Amino acid sequence: MSEKFDVIVIGGGVVGCAIAWYLAHFDLQILLLEKDLDVCSGVSKANTGIIHSRSYWTPRTLKGELHLRSLPWIEQAEKELDIEFLKTGALTVAFSRSELEFLKTLKRRGKIKGAEILTPQEARTLEPMLSDKIFAAYYDPETRVASPFQLNLALAESAFLNGVRFIFGQEVTGFEKEGNHIRIFTREGEYLSRWVVSSAGLSSSYLAQRSGENIPSLRALRGEYLVLDRECKDLVRHVLYPVPVGETKGILVSPTTDGNILVGPNLEVAEDEDTSTTKEGLKEVEEGGKKLIPFLPVSQTIATFSGLRPTSPDRDFHIFFSSRFPSLLHLVGIESPGLTASFGIAEYTGDLLKERGLKLSEKRDFIFRSSFPVFRKLSWEERKKLIQEDADWGKIVCRCEEVTIAEVKHALLSSPGASTLDGLKRRVRVMMGRCQGGFCGMHLPFLMAETLGLEEREIVKSGKNSFYLGKETKEVRSGAPLY
Amino acid sequence: MVPHSIKGDVVVIGGGPAGMAAALSSWEAGARSVFLLERNEYLGGILPQCIHPGFGLQIWGEELTGPEYAETFIEKLNRTGVEVMTDTTVLELSPERVVKAVNSEGVWELKADSIILSMGCRERTRGMLRIPGHRPAGIFTAGLAQYLVNIAGYLPGEEIVILGSGDIGLIMARRLTLEGARVKMVVEIKNSLSGLVRNYVQCIQDFNIPLLFSHTVTEVRGKERVEAVMISEVDEGGNPLSGSEREVECDTLLLSVGLIPENELSRQAKIPLSPLTGGPWVDEDFSTDLEGFFACGNVVSVFDLVDYVTLVAERAGRAAVFPSSPQKKYILQTGEGVHTVIPQRIREGKDGFLFIRPQKSMRSVTVFLRWEEKIFYEKKISICRPSEMIKLNLSEIPWPQVKGEIKVEIEGTEIRGIS
Repeated sequence: MSEKFDVIVIGGGVVGCAIAWYLAHFDLQILLLEKDLDVCSGVSKANTGIIHSRSYWTPRTLKGELHLRSLPWIEQAEKELDIEFLKTGALTVAFSRSELEFLKTLKRRGKIKGAEILTPQEARTLEPMLSDKIFAAYYDPETRVASPFQLNLALAESAFLNGVRFIFGQEVTGFEKEGNHIRIFTREGEYLSRWVVSSAGLSSSYLAQRSGENIPSLRALRGEYLVLDRECKDLVRHVLYPVPVGETKGILVSPTTDGNILVGPNLEVAEDEDTSTTKEGLKEVEEGGKKLIPFLPVSQTIATFSGLRPTSPDRDFHIFFSSRFPSLLHLVGIESPGLTASFGIAEYTGDLLKERGLKLSEKRDFIFRSSFPVFRKLSWEERKKLIQEDADWGKIVCRCEEVTIAEVKHALLSSPGASTLDGLKRRVRVMMGRCQGGFCGMHLPFLMAETLGLEEREIVKSGKNSFYLGKETKEVRSGAPLY
Repeated sequence: MVPHSIKGDVVVIGGGPAGMAAALSSWEAGARSVFLLERNEYLGGILPQCIHPGFGLQIWGEELTGPEYAETFIEKLNRTGVEVMTDTTVLELSPERVVKAVNSEGVWELKADSIILSMGCRERTRGMLRIPGHRPAGIFTAGLAQYLVNIAGYLPGEEIVILGSGDIGLIMARRLTLEGARVKMVVEIKNSLSGLVRNYVQCIQDFNIPLLFSHTVTEVRGKERVEAVMISEVDEGGNPLSGSEREVECDTLLLSVGLIPENELSRQAKIPLSPLTGGPWVDEDFSTDLEGFFACGNVVSVFDLVDYVTLVAERAGRAAVFPSSPQKKYILQTGEGVHTVIPQRIREGKDGFLFIRPQKSMRSVTVFLRWEEKIFYEKKISICRPSEMIKLNLSEIPWPQVKGEIKVEIEGTEIRGIS
């Protein structure tokens, strides 16, 4: 391939997409390579989506610095990306006098107007289901919640809209110098770029090693979660944090932008990047959640999942240029609060590249993204209007989340569009509701094949071998007309 | 029709067996403005994908397939003036009996004197069971798999393990075997069958498919597509016994682990629901505790035979046209040995049915009805199972001249497995 890019970003997670989006503000030819079939397929697909406020930054670390640097971006990003960062506020709950110290630390660190330490009664006025065993709580009004999928997708869509190209199914295997450019090898092809940013999540230490760095491999620390039915919507209104005992924030109970309640994550070592859930892990998550909300209706669980934290030995972010390839930047160990810090990381990355000589001249015609309507969130008047314009708006394909065919088709045909059932799920919430695809699973693979011009049996859930359908029935194979 | 606001006598939500029978019965009772709303593109609910026979024995004495059973009602409906709206999804239901729905023609607002809820049920999922492991392709609820095979024309996979001995799972074990797939086993966490015995005999025994009682799936393996499941023997409480775990290779896991009445709309309308069934409390006319609202079929509680659904839906359809006094004489409570009773309220007790689901499989069974200490009705039956509701005629019961709580109890000798 002879095409030369100014920047290639490796990895379509929230950080890779944030970097591509940030750099798309400047006059640059940018390519994003992703090893899976869609953006938001690795670390970014499984986390709480919380935008941790400044109360929760970690001093004297790069992750803390970039966390703080990210926060001023939030309002700008809301406008540019047309997405919602739901300002829920948070309560950090202490169960003893000794834990109270931590609440004071948070208050001191945050210096947030309106933040205060509450008595149990005050806390329970804000959050009536909270345990009556609490000693005190720290109220933080600035904590927000994003949908991890929507943020990742909005960044990708906005990047695309502003000229970034995406190529999927490209697992990077190595680098070679070519003049002052870098040639990237993947299993499928080669790409040439002046600058390369590797934000490959769990694979980031491997890619650094491939480029000649002698750094330790990341550890994948797994966290499991429970998702509760939207029927539990008003049960919890704030993000609820315990006082952490280890290095993570502990098991939280959190509202989501879509009305579910999320409980988790726990912390365990995952062998071989294994994202399975375990009986013990889910039990631990349940108990952690019930410590905060004793009557947590875990019987309303609709799904469980686990996510991985790409963890470096010192648990900090490591962002550095390769010693062998001076224009290759590695981002290693981007774990929590990676989603919160993504804007800060992107800006910082831009600065580092600029310092090394990348010319950043701002585009005049940067386009703001406008999000596609979400039927469930529209008024009846808006719904009426849309159905008049396009009858597909009146056809509900997923009744649990009230998703229309119009939204599904858009998710398939937009760019970067969904090419897998999971991609569709993350874009428009089909199969994500209480029936978990029991009903819409009857229609989606076929709608998808028809819309994308694929064979029905080619439809996959996530990976390229995750086929949804088996072979045709005898009747169909015999050529008889069906039913 | 131009989308607009409509006033009707009866609006029926859901066009499965319950909704079809109810709409028809409302029409036959004299209602002339009856709307039947169905979100699918065709009527019949789950029936069109149930291509096996066995429907209609109880009420017509003949064995029909699901599509035939549905067709009987569709033909009858075609001869009435019932307004059938398919591809129409109800999104809102208010206590004032206003229904808001959408279809490709627009937004509809229907206000009715009576609303009949017949939304049916949905299948329990892997997420609800919290089965640990990976999340690959190849995990299906049995009903979804049945649709894929019988309507869409695709097998879900080739090497199948079925969790749960519910009827759809048993039926699918046979169906998939006939299609050339290998059903490796059915595992059931309980020590007895969840589905009907006739389905066990015809679908499992006749095809030599192993059925393991007191076993469950403890883990799903495979990153992209299912590669194996771990199964384990369980104790009485359903907890896996350590050391009993083993791996079963397969590419597909079907779940036939129960059905849940779909009452999200009922909750919107603030209709009182029974925590036991998940559906509305109803009387013998399938009138709910909220005036003007009726409920029938699996939205009330999951019935094991579609014939029973038809019977109760006919009562609901009629009652929706001639509502009777909201006063109830008796409240039925589940006592010893009883899982559920439908209805839970009795207004008169002169006609209609009483459906009792036992907690356990038992032989030499006696059903009692008790008011305080006094037993005023008892009936002996040879055998009962949780999978088969006991159906009594209310007219047989000598109701006491009192008002209040009545307890329904079952006694017998417990049996395990199939026998």
